[in-house]
Amino acid sequence: MATSLESPSTRIEGDFLFLFGNDLARMDLMRRFYFLGSIILALLIAASGCKSPVPQGNITDDLGRTVQIKGIPQRIVSLSPSNTEIVYALGLEDRLIGVTTYCNYPPEAQKKLQVSGYSTVDVEKVVSLQPDLILADSIHKTEVIPALEKLGIPVIGIVAPSLDQLLADIELVGKISGKQNAASVLVASLKQRITAVKEKTAGASKPRVFFVTWHDPLWTVGRGSMIDDLIVRAGGSNMASDLKANQTIDLETAIQRNPEVIVVLSSMGDQAVSYNFLKNEPRFQATDALKNNRVYQVDSDIFGRTTPRTIDALEELAKLIHPELYK
Amino acid sequence: MTTQQNQLNALENRVTWRRRFSIFSVAAMAVGLLVVGSLVLTVGSVHIAFRQVWAILVSHLPLVNLEVNWSSTTDMIVTGIRLPRIILAGMAGAALGVAGATYQGLFRNPLADPYLIGVAQGAALGAVTGFLLPWTFLGGYLIPVLAFLGALVSVSAVYLIARVGKAIPVTTLILAGVAIGSFLISLTSYITIISADKMPGILSWLMGKFSMANWEQVGLIAPFLVVGLAVIFIFARPLNVMQLDEEQAEQLGINVERTKLILMAASTLITAAAVCFVGTIGFVGIIIPHAVRLIWGPDHRTLLPLAALSGAILLILADTASRTLFPPTEIPVGVITAFLGAPFFLFLLRRKKKAVF
Repeated sequence: MATSLESPSTRIEGDFLFLFGNDLARMDLMRRFYFLGSIILALLIAASGCKSPVPQGNITDDLGRTVQIKGIPQRIVSLSPSNTEIVYALGLEDRLIGVTTYCNYPPEAQKKLQVSGYSTVDVEKVVSLQPDLILADSIHKTEVIPALEKLGIPVIGIVAPSLDQLLADIELVGKISGKQNAASVLVASLKQRITAVKEKTAGASKPRVFFVTWHDPLWTVGRGSMIDDLIVRAGGSNMASDLKANQTIDLETAIQRNPEVIVVLSSMGDQAVSYNFLKNEPRFQATDALKNNRVYQVDSDIFGRTTPRTIDALEELAKLIHPELYK
Repeated sequence: MTTQQNQLNALENRVTWRRRFSIFSVAAMAVGLLVVGSLVLTVGSVHIAFRQVWAILVSHLPLVNLEVNWSSTTDMIVTGIRLPRIILAGMAGAALGVAGATYQGLFRNPLADPYLIGVAQGAALGAVTGFLLPWTFLGGYLIPVLAFLGALVSVSAVYLIARVGKAIPVTTLILAGVAIGSFLISLTSYITIISADKMPGILSWLMGKFSMANWEQVGLIAPFLVVGLAVIFIFARPLNVMQLDEEQAEQLGINVERTKLILMAASTLITAAAVCFVGTIGFVGIIIPHAVRLIWGPDHRTLLPLAALSGAILLILADTASRTLFPPTEIPVGVITAFLGAPFFLFLLRRKKKAVF
């Protein structure tokens, strides 16, 4: 899958690599660039010091908690791969001082200090880093967040069960970290791509889509989940929309509902266990999806997270559901 | 003389009456199993009319030519999804019920269950390892094969550790089982916690599920079950004698250590076969033997077959609840067995109020 959304940071880094080429004549240019850069930086600091509103005060996070943010956070810890991606997309990577062992995108994130596993957080390590902002996930709600809160560290829980919520979250992180502009630019471009998909699939038929996250028992996603939102926006109809977010679905019901497109989540990034199972399960052969060879696997790192790359997921899903529109 | 004769007659009558009652009970439960099995075939998350289910079944009999007025999907739901699922649940229930009864008898310990000496813990570790390994050469059979091997390896380790010379002291065996079990559980928990997006699958396995039951699974575990159950049933009488202490059983001509080894091997085999596809279903193995003992008494010759039949019925009913209570989602079957089994067992316990052993 082509990653059409590059975070601004990666683009700037690319330019630096270009400048560092062995062409000596560029040295002069570089010096000038740095000089100019430092002036702009000084102006920016002066500007932010006097007139841009320092985002102090209370904000409400996605878990319904009220959090007080003091000043602009300079030391950010991310406790989920989704949050890490959002931080990078906003160009905040220099302020990111702690990530999880699962943060593998962008690849540079793997070089950051790892302070957490999937749900297990090394609270001691987190505290020792003296962060002034922690971006947590819903799995941290009951234990980790109260523990960190007690130590006086502002924690924001980010949970995006829909694209609208995701865009709001990106703006929220941008706002509290003083990156409003980067956030609005990013959100505007994402919105544009969402609209493009909407326009493309408007008026097309709405095939029944069965989204499988695990095969034994069959786990799927119902309403109130990001995937459900993506299926609808990509011009499909979620076969399991009568279920709540993450649920098992009975094999006989799954077959009776006769999915036209089956989309299977890969496991741990690239393992195709569930995909292989569904492709080879004889009892699924009677469904339209299998008859027309429309079983696809998608990357769990992209579809399992809520990040700017979720718009990549939306575009990919639209192409899988409506290949005829993307010829 | 006449009084003595009468007493003897009365005793004989009682014995034959008991025997007849036992045979009748086994027959009745077997019929009950067939009735329950065929009734639950007609319910499911997809509505198929009662008569249609029967018509579909009959149409599969040889020499029957029925007019087919149903879709191939409907046929497949009845004969390809529900039927193997019910049979697999019945087989697993029978295996767990009998293995539980055997262990309780063998160790003369009411707390014994099929998982006492490490079967479940070994199977669980094998299964979760299978979830994480990226191997593909076994296809979909990686998890069951590793679960089955895990169970056998774990029980063998317990056995070898507990063995003193040629004898296996029961207390040492149980303690070794508990220790090795805890060790394996710690590894299983660790693997589960690092399994990230595979956690739902792992948790479903650990709580038990029949969701993907198919005829291959039925065919693969049937031989283990038939051989294991036959061996255990043959040893019903020695098991009765072993309810005296081991020394007395030895004096009465039972080779205690050999009997123990054979029964443990057979129970391990049927339990491992039962859990490898469907996961570690709890409560059946401990509740069924006790319930049967409370109702029909402790004679292993009737206890074992009745444990098999009632175990099968209980698990079939539990699985039916699991797939029909909140359609179209499923509840892990282990949750149902605990939820139904525990109160039922307490009810029996209160009603009888006498020592089970």
